[in-house]
Amino acid sequence: MASTLTAQAKRTSARRPPKRRFRRQRRPPLNWADKKMTPAMVDRLFWRAGFGPRQEDRDRWVGKRVVLAVNWLLTTKPSLVGAPPSNNNAPLAPTANDTDLVLQWVDRMVRVDNPLIERLTFMWHDHFGINRNDVTPRMAQKHIELLRQLTDVTANPAADFRSLMQAVTIDPAMLRFLTGEFNVRRNPNENFAREIMELYGIGVTNEQGQPNYTETDVKELARAFSGWQINNTNAQEPVAYFTASRWDPGTKTALGRTGSFDTPQAVDVVLAHPNHAPFLVRRIWDEFVQSPPEPAMLRDLASTYVRRGLRLRPVLKKILTSRAMFESANEPNMIKSPVVFVAGTMRAMGLTITSGTPRNAMQSMGQDPYFPPDVSGWEGGQAWLDSNTAIARFRLLNDLNSDAVIDRTDATSENAQQAYDRAYAAVGKPWLAPNTVAQITAFAATQPGANIGQRRVRQRVLRALMLGGPDGQVM
Amino acid sequence: MDNDQTTPYDIDAITAIHCADCARSDSAAYDAIPVDHMPIPTEAFAGFPDGVPTMGRLNRRRFLRNGALGVAAIYGASKIPWQNAFEAAVAEGAVGPNNVLVMLFLNGGNDGPNTFVPIGGDNAAYRTLRPTIARANDIAGRVGHTDMGLGAAGQLALPNLPGMGLPGVGFATGGNLLSLWQANQIALFPAADYPNPNFSHFTSRDWWFAGRLMKSSTGWLGRWLDAYGSTTNPLQAVSIGSNISKSIRTARNPVASIPENIAGFGFNISGSSPAVINPQVGAIAGGSAGNASTQRARSTYGQTVTVAGQLAGVAQPGANAAYPANSSLSRRLQLAAALIGANLGTRVVTIDWGSFDTHGGQIASHDPQLSILGQALAAFQADLTARGIQDRTALVAFSEFGRRGGENDSNGTDHGAGGTMWVQGAKVRGGLAGTPAPLSALVNGNLQVTTDFRSVYSALLSDWMGGDPGLILPEASPLTRADGGLLFNP
Repeated sequence: MASTLTAQAKRTSARRPPKRRFRRQRRPPLNWADKKMTPAMVDRLFWRAGFGPRQEDRDRWVGKRVVLAVNWLLTTKPSLVGAPPSNNNAPLAPTANDTDLVLQWVDRMVRVDNPLIERLTFMWHDHFGINRNDVTPRMAQKHIELLRQLTDVTANPAADFRSLMQAVTIDPAMLRFLTGEFNVRRNPNENFAREIMELYGIGVTNEQGQPNYTETDVKELARAFSGWQINNTNAQEPVAYFTASRWDPGTKTALGRTGSFDTPQAVDVVLAHPNHAPFLVRRIWDEFVQSPPEPAMLRDLASTYVRRGLRLRPVLKKILTSRAMFESANEPNMIKSPVVFVAGTMRAMGLTITSGTPRNAMQSMGQDPYFPPDVSGWEGGQAWLDSNTAIARFRLLNDLNSDAVIDRTDATSENAQQAYDRAYAAVGKPWLAPNTVAQITAFAATQPGANIGQRRVRQRVLRALMLGGPDGQVM
Repeated sequence: MDNDQTTPYDIDAITAIHCADCARSDSAAYDAIPVDHMPIPTEAFAGFPDGVPTMGRLNRRRFLRNGALGVAAIYGASKIPWQNAFEAAVAEGAVGPNNVLVMLFLNGGNDGPNTFVPIGGDNAAYRTLRPTIARANDIAGRVGHTDMGLGAAGQLALPNLPGMGLPGVGFATGGNLLSLWQANQIALFPAADYPNPNFSHFTSRDWWFAGRLMKSSTGWLGRWLDAYGSTTNPLQAVSIGSNISKSIRTARNPVASIPENIAGFGFNISGSSPAVINPQVGAIAGGSAGNASTQRARSTYGQTVTVAGQLAGVAQPGANAAYPANSSLSRRLQLAAALIGANLGTRVVTIDWGSFDTHGGQIASHDPQLSILGQALAAFQADLTARGIQDRTALVAFSEFGRRGGENDSNGTDHGAGGTMWVQGAKVRGGLAGTPAPLSALVNGNLQVTTDFRSVYSALLSDWMGGDPGLILPEASPLTRADGGLLFNP
């Protein structure tokens, strides 16, 4: 689409007087793949596609074209670097306690070199909304592993949403979470049939506001999804199985199609709905970009998605190389989710997980991984920030900057500017508005640093003002 | 875990020795998981301009212009959109003020005889049973007592602690329990419990919260809320704290919890102080913003600083409300008063406070708590009056059980029967509503139960909250006051 526009514009400009050129410039290209990245653009890319830039990401990608970094994200197999996590000097026991389960995941976010897959995995967790309270720890853990495996475009460039949706549909965690295990032919359970349309696949209405499905569609599809049960012999790690006699083999008519649909076919019926592609690419877009996609961009993404067989990688590449991805690069314009904020702060500070603090912090910020508030996931966006969560975010910088952490870089004779610079480096050189820099610099000059106690407090306050203050909340 | 009366305890000079059961038994008070969170706008606590707010076309951004005081966790069968919940709260507040019940749970089992001291004919038995910890006017170093003026009828005194009966300490200097008593604002049930008491914290709490002597998935006030409450307003019943009390656990209708720590609200850093940090955050937040998200971040942080400043005012008691400083009970009662005064349809507030499981070293841990309790309750009453809501607010203080008649070898008292319970308020008919349990006539070392707590609940429903007690408390008998008449003045 973009190339067609450009070709058209070129053709016209050749024949028209120069004033037409002005009109062409008012429609900037939707794609910035070949733009050379500024430091702000590198930060943007790594905050949105990950959990914030490491210094080596900046060193590597500043001045390089966007598409090169995006290709790196899409193809580099992720690996964990640095010390393994612990909780109060004990190794994590993720299936024995929920804090360790959460810490295990956050640790991956903090230590992974290529963060894109972890970011996508969390997006799908938010999308499907399975809550640990409804399933065993191991079921929840396996569910996340499933999401990670099936979205890993670095391992499988052909990873597609159809495979993901099919697998999640019969994941024991999903069958339990949305009570699919109780869906039998004589007493169909509509829970999953409704959510696969409303929340997972097509949405309630299309872009024009017309309903995408009816209550009849829900009832008919529910029949198709019948027959699944869970074998609880291994209570921690139950397995799903299908019993043909519990399945309704009759003819169903749903979303304009008729057949004796079984579960995989019913999933395909949903994914064949005309609103599936716009719905899903919009869901992914919103994860990475603040502004809604221009209509041309949305059409392009949806058609690419369908044409490429519901594969994720082509869509991700278009979004991550889009101009909109880098909008307002010099003043970040998206609120960090608590998970991104906490993992990003630890990443920026070079910290590893050694206690339950990161989880406690995320809880008080309103986002506890594995425990979404309901099946629709977290509300997110601007709603992340209120008075309580702002205080919790600020407090994280206090809690993470223990004396020991600060003393890693103590400098006995540092002046105020040096103290500022040390603090700024310690929190990963985040974006700060000019006014914020001036304010904190002036404040640093008022803070004593004669002894180590004073320098610790000075560092803690400066770091909190930088990354725990308002400027640290946007990416 | 049922009964630790025979377990020996070490003496701890500073704090009470608690039984292991107690350490785990918070789960008996709370166990639910919130379904949602709802910001409480600053405006609500500052008081709506005309008292009857119209918040048509409410939206989050508009309403939270001035920031949120805190976040209420919402509990209930289903999730209610935030806007609907707050519209419901505001709408209910607009319908007209209703009576409010504040349930103050004295956690751990408050000791009756050292709170309401037997004098007169029963005093000899009291002093014999409690050679070390008895109140005594004639022993140097002991806390004495002041007669509550019941004459021959009751023969009770309040200990001479600042918040209780210390002579010369009354409303003029902040008030105490004696001044409330003398103002006829306390109806006292000195030995309230249920027949054949069970001395497990778990079981007793469950039953007090359920209003029935059985496991129940709903609290007694929860059932009342389901029957007579709102289907949409979570603020109709609020637990001050980070969890909800089992007493307001409902089957359907929404309820909420609000943390009380508004005094510490704001930004702070270890080693520094809010007075240093908040202005810095405020100055940064005052910078210009070029997009909606930086705008949101700056305004939220800025408003939080503003709210922190406003809350400093809210938290400070007025002339008539000299709450004890640095007390979580003060903060909780203040928040309760503010919430009731905000006209958001709140009918029930629950507060859980204290550590009354005084198995050892009782004086050192019990007396400071009684001092705070009495002062805070007097301050609360003054606060209600200052807000003009004293005539529609009643407070019930209760505990899951009483303690043994005699002291143990650790200068403490073990789990026993017949706990202290009183109802206080401007509309309460003060007096000795229940009969004191004579220490000269213990049953297996325990106080006699002279009031079935369920009958007090029954009167609270029929005479204060409205509704059919038979529906909510199937096993409860109507209250018969020892001194006759109703629990409330007309």
